[in-house]
Amino acid sequence: MSEPTTGATAASRVPSAAPGEALLEIRGLKKHFPLTQGIVFKRTVGHVRAVDGVDLTMRRGETVGLVGESGCGKSTVSKLLVALERPTDGQILYKGRDVARMSGRALKAYRREVQIIFQDPYASLNPRMTVGDIVAEGWAVHADIAPKKGRLQRTQELLDRVGLNPDYVNRYPHQFSGGQRQRIGIARALALRPEVVVCDEPVSALDVSVQAQVVNLLEDVQDEFGLSYLFIAHDLSVVRHISDRVAVMYLGSIVEEGTDAQVYGSPSHPYTQALLSSVPLHEPHLRGQKDRILLQGDVPSPADPPSGCRFRTRCWKAQDICAQEAPALVDRGQGHPSACHFAEARTVVPVDVE
Amino acid sequence: MTRPERSTSVLPGTATPVLEVDDLHVEFRTRSGVVSAVNGVSYSLSEGQTLAILGESGSGKSVSAQAIMGILDSPPAVITGGGIHFEGRDLLTMSPEEQRRVRGPGISMIFQDALSSLNPVYSVGFQIGEMFRAHRGMSKRDAKKQAIELMDRVRIPAAASRVDDYPHQFSGGMRQRVMIAMAIALDPRVLIADEPTTALDVTVQAQVMDLLKDLQRDTGMGLILITHDLGVVNEVADDVAVMYAGRIVERGTVDDVFGNPAHPYTDGLMSSVPQVEAKGGRLLPIVGQPPNLAAIPSGCPFHPRCSRRRLGDAAAPGRECATDVPPLRLVAPAREAACHYSEEVLGV
Repeated sequence: MSEPTTGATAASRVPSAAPGEALLEIRGLKKHFPLTQGIVFKRTVGHVRAVDGVDLTMRRGETVGLVGESGCGKSTVSKLLVALERPTDGQILYKGRDVARMSGRALKAYRREVQIIFQDPYASLNPRMTVGDIVAEGWAVHADIAPKKGRLQRTQELLDRVGLNPDYVNRYPHQFSGGQRQRIGIARALALRPEVVVCDEPVSALDVSVQAQVVNLLEDVQDEFGLSYLFIAHDLSVVRHISDRVAVMYLGSIVEEGTDAQVYGSPSHPYTQALLSSVPLHEPHLRGQKDRILLQGDVPSPADPPSGCRFRTRCWKAQDICAQEAPALVDRGQGHPSACHFAEARTVVPVDVE
Repeated sequence: MTRPERSTSVLPGTATPVLEVDDLHVEFRTRSGVVSAVNGVSYSLSEGQTLAILGESGSGKSVSAQAIMGILDSPPAVITGGGIHFEGRDLLTMSPEEQRRVRGPGISMIFQDALSSLNPVYSVGFQIGEMFRAHRGMSKRDAKKQAIELMDRVRIPAAASRVDDYPHQFSGGMRQRVMIAMAIALDPRVLIADEPTTALDVTVQAQVMDLLKDLQRDTGMGLILITHDLGVVNEVADDVAVMYAGRIVERGTVDDVFGNPAHPYTDGLMSSVPQVEAKGGRLLPIVGQPPNLAAIPSGCPFHPRCSRRRLGDAAAPGRECATDVPPLRLVAPAREAACHYSEEVLGV
């Protein structure tokens, strides 16, 4: 164990990374859940390959968007990142250190520095705790973040910062609306002064007018607290709005990655193209200008994924090689990585020139 | 979600409507008070027309549809006023048995959550066939044959071999197709789709919306699409009615309303959603929360959140946002809005 021991501030526990360098690196990450049969003697009859080889890098201060449809494994990635699940294989490197090998003080520091905001603001807050207790709960474990004396005041400051009335510390979650509850979740994450916040579908459950308020709040506190976000969502428009870089996931692995302009403006993986072409546009004058790609069939089961390229069973470009060889996520001349043997940039979303 | 041509306007008196909702009021009488969910909603739907009802949760969009279908939970819900005319006859004055005979084959509805709308212990073929057995008196064997045909029509692959499968054996998109098959079984004149694609992934959403549009083209049924998704409205609807606090605050063709909103709420919705075609700048959300329906603000229900509200303007008698309820009025050719200052919002 070589990490520095207790310091005056907890932030000094793990050496900090300079701006722009990789803060979090995911390498070949896999998570397979066993499928069992039998009641008394459980036999493993197979595995659900929820996450099957994900590579992703997050730099300091950056927002990385992770998009994909249900069942693609994006939420499992978020659970692996906050160490709620242990990876089957692969590494998560935080400031260069493997999270799976952390223990004791280092793991405790990691858990403080990497926080999560959940999708469902109704299920993720304990209904029997007051808002003040929910926000302050983390300090019971990480006592050095907030001295005991000033905790109430600190809690009220946090509530005020996320746009809630500080006098509401003694209220219970059911007294708040969905948007307000999500603000409580944000205050709870901020309370431990994290460096990375994993946002797992943070606005999907909210009404559109409230969704924008929460997106703006997330952007504001990012600048103020110097946070890096992994923003997981299925809403492609929200992800484009908030992200610096975007990774598209399909059936357990990343199929395309790049800046928002690269992925949305010139998608080169057929799945990304199909996904983007399905998003309904809001502008009447752009209606009908979109290149529609209708995918056939359903996503294959992650317990029995196709050989080679995962997407080949629904792909209009599939050839023999796609069944034999899984395409690597590399740049094939499009300027950004794409996991397709026949990657080719194509514009599917019309550019709004109004 | 392609659509060929636009049909006529939603505004009254243009074409003979199949369905007319007239000044509908619905209340929920609970122990903790009266909740006014629908406060005077009127709209009409003609053959082949797609009307989108756009609103956030609690705006009354689903409750008004449930009133049409006669599936409100009463008590606590009570229809306190208004009429629902289907092919010229008022459903609300009919006996329950008469209502059932008219609605059964005439109006049908699909819901957001297909899994909980299907019975898990009956095969999908049996559930689709039930429509024919109950309303057409068909035998089990004939009903099953019809069910297979319908499953083909809603593009469920290998329908003949899947007819005996149970709902849990289908994916979300396929289940929604089963629901659609049940809904169109008796060739309804009106189909109400309540958030039909909200629980579905975007690629599946596109498939289901395409299917609905194709079926509409074939049958000429009127489609009421209840949704909170502005993109879906833009791509599939002819006309849109925007609801807020149990009232329609704006309506007109989608091109008009989305192109240049006449109500500050519609305007606020449009600028609070990010778009996929551009990264865009900072979002401009509507401040505050949607109103509590047990205590709807006086005057214009939107005024506490409105950036254009005018309070105490002596130069505008009868147009005080905090006290005078703005009526839904004609603000431009073929479009209506319920705002005292719509002309300013429109910029005319």
